[in-house]
Amino acid sequence: MNKLSHEEAYSELAGVALDSVAVEVSVAVREHAASCPECGPELAAMEDAVAQLAQAVPEVAINPGHGAGIRSRLLARARGEREARSVPAPGPPDLARGVASLTGLGHKLTPGTQRAVDAEVRKVVPLPVRDRSTAWPAYVLAAAASIALVATAVQLSRVSADRDALRSQIATRSSTPAPSDTTPAIAPSEKQAIIEAMAGRDVKMVPLATVTKESMGHMFWNRQSNDWTMVLYTMHPPKPGMTYQVWLVTDSAKISAGTFQPDATGHAFMQAKYALDRNALKAVAITEEPAGGMPSPTGPIVVSGSAAP
Amino acid sequence: MNPPERDLAYSHEVRTNAEDVALIRRMCDADETALVALYDRWMRSLYSLVFHLLKDADDAEDVVEETFWQAWRKASSYEPSRGAVSTWLLTIGRRRALDRLRAKGRRREESMTDVRELADVASPMSDPSQAVEGAERKTQVLSALAGLPHEQREVLELGYFRGLSQTEISELTGQPLGTVKTRMRLALQKLREPLAMYRERGD
Repeated sequence: MNKLSHEEAYSELAGVALDSVAVEVSVAVREHAASCPECGPELAAMEDAVAQLAQAVPEVAINPGHGAGIRSRLLARARGEREARSVPAPGPPDLARGVASLTGLGHKLTPGTQRAVDAEVRKVVPLPVRDRSTAWPAYVLAAAASIALVATAVQLSRVSADRDALRSQIATRSSTPAPSDTTPAIAPSEKQAIIEAMAGRDVKMVPLATVTKESMGHMFWNRQSNDWTMVLYTMHPPKPGMTYQVWLVTDSAKISAGTFQPDATGHAFMQAKYALDRNALKAVAITEEPAGGMPSPTGPIVVSGSAAP
Repeated sequence: MNPPERDLAYSHEVRTNAEDVALIRRMCDADETALVALYDRWMRSLYSLVFHLLKDADDAEDVVEETFWQAWRKASSYEPSRGAVSTWLLTIGRRRALDRLRAKGRRREESMTDVRELADVASPMSDPSQAVEGAERKTQVLSALAGLPHEQREVLELGYFRGLSQTEISELTGQPLGTVKTRMRLALQKLREPLAMYRERGD
């Protein structure tokens, strides 16, 4: 927008103070006001008056439970961010071990995968100490402290619903994908690690479904290696500003297993390394949470699966 | 070690800007309990404002959370010389509410009936003493609004409390755009003096 004359800017001051003009007009007026001895003070005085108008709004009571929920989420988010900020780069030891679960297999991650890993490591929510009144048992806290989660951008296309089919698909993914297949090829060692995580002798498979019983994928828990591998398909993207968060549900805790976003095709693939008592898992649940994740579930369960035999 | 969390929830204590500024400084030092304290002090005012704009409890709650989160993230950008913390917070919240309102295009659904039912925020018929329960500042603002000529109060209400642009106000009321601008300017100029005593600076 061209520079405004003094008269033009002056006529728009009230609209700018009230946010009732287009953004470009507001920018141009503020630019003029910044150096105009008449418009600058006038705009400031009008903005002061506008600020007082909020006092005129009749008070509306917020739902007490919702108000308390917002308070809790703000506290958790701020605490999580503070703790994350205090963590030395590239991440706490437990997270580093999580990365090692992929990098320690004798191969180097592709740059794209590494970037995704790094991004997810930065997003991992530190597991908080709960209120004293509902404190987790010490063993849960100890276990939570050692959880190491990595969600990668590895994309698996056309994943079928059962483990064998999935295993077969990974095993047979050609190193020369079809021209129409834009999914990045998986490095052989990475592929082998995925297969081992999902197809070992002591793997528990938890089918995951929506509340309407629509099958969405599986969580594979290799109880020998403590590898967790989750594959989902046809997931809708979360709402703007939100993310999906995975929870390992035991009798005494809901343990955050990290956050993820499905890819453009609705697929999501997530790996984690976390030791859990072989009989402790009761269910796996996925909730929609504010971006960055939450220390405990606050949103509705969108996908879940029972670990009952 | 984190400072102990104080229970300030929904208190009716006297809120001074100096206390708010102190909370902002603690937020700059990543003290999350200061954020919660600020939330407890201003959540009701902010919720009332954004609910009035959005007319939807879920949306209003989202905006309240986003606003306080932005305040946490941008605490260091607060400049006391530009106004009180409450002004800063309410401005953030109102802008976020307007963004949401405009993104949803909800205003287009409003009819003239809605406009006439503007809740008479500043109607001379309203009872300021009852509405504000003795809050002197609120009484003063309501009185100042009630003292405006009807046509000036109308454009102010449509602009501030409904978040309409000047162009939309012009279309809605059938008044020329220039008239809307003039009325808006006159309204704000008339409000300045009676409300100047409540102008708070953080410095």
